[in-house]
Amino acid sequence: MDNKIRQILGDAQEKITKVKDQKSLNDLYVEFFGKNSPLNNLTSEISKLRAEDRPKAGQKINAAKSELERLFEEAKKSSNAKKHHIAAVDPTAPGKKQQIGHLHLVSQAIEEIVDIFKKLGFTLQSYPEVDWDWYAFESLNMPAEHPARDDWETFFIKSDIDPKYGKQVLTPHTSNGQVREMEIVKKPPIRMINISRCYRRQIDVSHTPMFHQFEGLLIDQNVSISQLKGTFDYFASEFFGKKRVTRLRPHHFRFTEPSFEVDITCDICDGRGCRLCKEGWLELGGAGMVHPNVLRAGKIDPDQYMGFAFGWGVERTISMKTKLPDIRLFYQNDIRFLEQF
Amino acid sequence: MNIIIPISWLRDYLKTDLAAKTIANYLTASGPSVEKTEKKGDDYIFDIEVTTNRADASSVFGIAREACAILKSNGQKAELIEPKGLETSLEPDVTVTNPLDVSIADPKLCPRFCAIVLRIKIDQSPAIVKNRLTKCGIRPINNIVDITNYVMLETGQPMHAFDFDKIENSKMLLRASKEGEKITTLDGIKRQLPKGSIVISDAKKLIDLCGIMGAENSQITSRTQRVVFFVQSYNPQIIRKTTQSLAFRTDAAARFEKGVDLEFIPQVLSRAVYLAKKFAGAKIISELVDIYPKKQESKTIRLSFAKLNKYLGIEIEPNKVIQILTALGFKCVLEIAQIKATAPSWRATDIEADVDLIEEIARVWGYHKLPSKLPTGEVPQRENNTLTQVIELKKALRYLGLSEAITYSIISKSMLAQTGVAPKDAVELTNPLSEEWQFMRPTIIPSLLDVLGKNQNLESKIKLFEIAKTYDKQKKGLPTQDLKLAFALSDSNFLEIKGLVENLFQILQREAKFTKFNVPSALVDETQASIVKMGDQTIGGIGTLKEPPSEYFKLTTPIAIGELNLSKIYAQAPTTHSYHPIPKFPPVIEDISAIYSVHTPLGDITSEAKKASDLIKKIEIIDVFEDPKLGEEKKSVTFRLTFQKSSSTPTPEEVNDEKTKIIKALETNLRSKIRK
Repeated sequence: MDNKIRQILGDAQEKITKVKDQKSLNDLYVEFFGKNSPLNNLTSEISKLRAEDRPKAGQKINAAKSELERLFEEAKKSSNAKKHHIAAVDPTAPGKKQQIGHLHLVSQAIEEIVDIFKKLGFTLQSYPEVDWDWYAFESLNMPAEHPARDDWETFFIKSDIDPKYGKQVLTPHTSNGQVREMEIVKKPPIRMINISRCYRRQIDVSHTPMFHQFEGLLIDQNVSISQLKGTFDYFASEFFGKKRVTRLRPHHFRFTEPSFEVDITCDICDGRGCRLCKEGWLELGGAGMVHPNVLRAGKIDPDQYMGFAFGWGVERTISMKTKLPDIRLFYQNDIRFLEQF
Repeated sequence: MNIIIPISWLRDYLKTDLAAKTIANYLTASGPSVEKTEKKGDDYIFDIEVTTNRADASSVFGIAREACAILKSNGQKAELIEPKGLETSLEPDVTVTNPLDVSIADPKLCPRFCAIVLRIKIDQSPAIVKNRLTKCGIRPINNIVDITNYVMLETGQPMHAFDFDKIENSKMLLRASKEGEKITTLDGIKRQLPKGSIVISDAKKLIDLCGIMGAENSQITSRTQRVVFFVQSYNPQIIRKTTQSLAFRTDAAARFEKGVDLEFIPQVLSRAVYLAKKFAGAKIISELVDIYPKKQESKTIRLSFAKLNKYLGIEIEPNKVIQILTALGFKCVLEIAQIKATAPSWRATDIEADVDLIEEIARVWGYHKLPSKLPTGEVPQRENNTLTQVIELKKALRYLGLSEAITYSIISKSMLAQTGVAPKDAVELTNPLSEEWQFMRPTIIPSLLDVLGKNQNLESKIKLFEIAKTYDKQKKGLPTQDLKLAFALSDSNFLEIKGLVENLFQILQREAKFTKFNVPSALVDETQASIVKMGDQTIGGIGTLKEPPSEYFKLTTPIAIGELNLSKIYAQAPTTHSYHPIPKFPPVIEDISAIYSVHTPLGDITSEAKKASDLIKKIEIIDVFEDPKLGEEKKSVTFRLTFQKSSSTPTPEEVNDEKTKIIKALETNLRSKIRK
């Protein structure tokens, strides 16, 4: 018995020293403590001994077990200790990364804008980009002879002329959504945001034939110019930063009355006036109180309801924020441009 | 339209002690915007933007009138002085007059026509006139021509002077031009006129391209002794049509396109005659010709104070309202709870309804004085469009390693040809800007290929996507404009694009099926492609790019493309995941290897197996290979089955029964041979 125990312990000691990692140590542990381990087998032999020898043999086996436990414990400790000897990592070495792509600047701006107006109860809606003259012009109080309605400024589509809705046009603004939204909702209140591709026949440093506009429309029983101002101030401080202020200037649009141009303080000169702005202000976009004729076109009673609408170019808004010098860069899709954002 | 106004000239009509900068600030806040103030010597030059509805303000006097009303309403001291000579008599200065034989073919062409003949002495203009014209960007010529320009800048009303002795038979016929008529304008350019332009002919020839520029043949020269001074208005739309088709617009034309104040015309002529008498020793030698068949009327409008206050969001005193409107030239009468106002003649066409009065009052009161409040009232309950989900989708695609491109939705004919859609079946523009942008694209793919082509030398692996509406022509009505998502990957293959689309459907929480590409395609190689379906509905396709488009876009690596119809995808509800209890009993895992025809799709094998047994929890293909030893056109496929029950671990007998069923199904339905 004593010999066998000594042999088992010796065997264990030898095997433990050869073990290289935690997993083999665990396997070894199973070998020496598992169901078919040598010590277990020895235990089952106890019954074969004489009765007076049995307790002593039991004690010896238990002592051997404790000894084995101790050996394993030590081996574990030393193997943990060994780990600390692995060369330290270079924290400045590049990690193994997953590839992440890039979103177009326009998409990033759209997300921000939608988030800001969501908080004011506006929902994002979508309308056709090829639409009837009726929705793009006629219903918006734009007379047939309005310059925007001729071939020089707006793209038209080769198609039959609808007796009620007229020609098909590539929407030159997002305002075609106004009367469409009124027709869908029927009974105000309306709080709508529309962001869409728009098209105009021009190309230069500040114009591309396709661009994005975003439009807001609010219709209710009590709507004032003061609320329009509040809405803009909220947008400007959320989108451009707390320090920026907006102002309304008189302007003229056919589908709003009164009409305004909305300016925001220039962030380069903080409103003092510089080369890039007009006396301290940058033009943000157009706005106004919805013209009663537009409400009528949308079958909403202008004696009961009123509203405000606003719209402006997304690209312009971004270039004000990112100081992009040429709007055409947005659509050249040079990967070195796309990957900057 | 922007106009240039020297402050020194403005002060002739606007008496105020305020500094130039202060005047500019008031104008910008409440009227036409002063976009720039430039110091020139001891003068300031304003660059002012005047909106199309305010032609009345596009002159020095017009701005003075506007500024005076704004300043007075804001408690500043200001006074308006009219230009001298507006009331000059137009009675002849001689006893025997020279008759001018004027006729107008159609009163719609010319609502008012005023003319008078003067004997004059050609000379230089006085320094002040020359100086002011130069500051406004106009070259001084002689006293008569300068008067016509000076009066236009001063009053906003364009006018013209003819050499009376060059008008054949003193006859002027104003009419629409005929097909093919030509005229040489003052700038020496011979122009072929579009039919229907407004012109004046004498007994023999055309002498004026009305509203735009006079003819060279009747111009004022140093030898001119008698002139016709000529002030009128024209049909704005016809002037606009002519300037557009000639691509030739003058300052006068820009003003006539917006319309002029018909009531002001004789006064402008008086002012011009006054100046001619002063600078050119003029004598009136004809009767005044004034043809004005239909008098211009201003509207009388009523505005309730309740409506006004609602618009403003504040209460404004009726007296203040009257003060503002009166200062702007309106005639006002206070009625119970409302005001009755009649617009001045110079606002006759612009003021149409009560909201126009609200604008006048609000702007002059000052938008900057209105409080800033957030909208009150009920927040409408309206679902967001799927575009909101698209924002999230774009972010997910980004994290899958793709970059977003945004390209023009308008493509060229040759790019359209790459899609296989015939021009007659595509949505086409009637008036494209150039050949490059002629058709609304039915698919986004060619645009992405174009971007890949342009960038392929910059990076070896490019993965792009774009989400946009696409346009499918319909027999009747508007084109279908479904939202699509397109992919283009360089240096790629079928399985890469398929894996991507599988990831995408996981993100969208919807089930996609991939079936054989069984229709001809101009873009993808049909043997390396798949139709993507949801249920029985086709929602897109994926595959590798064919040779012809690859050559067209000069692509140097194998390209994988795909396009999915997001409108159709979002129209189907996402699969909702309900809770399944976590299995209490371990599964049994078994593999089945068999030999199939190479033409048998893997999808058919797994679905056949799945159909045969109810105990299958999961099935996955773990090995596929082809080897001549297997036989001609054969492949070996191994799949791993996970059998699981909720009540206990499947017994070896149960598993065997299930395997037998599966093998039988594969053998009879797919003619497979089981490998043991």
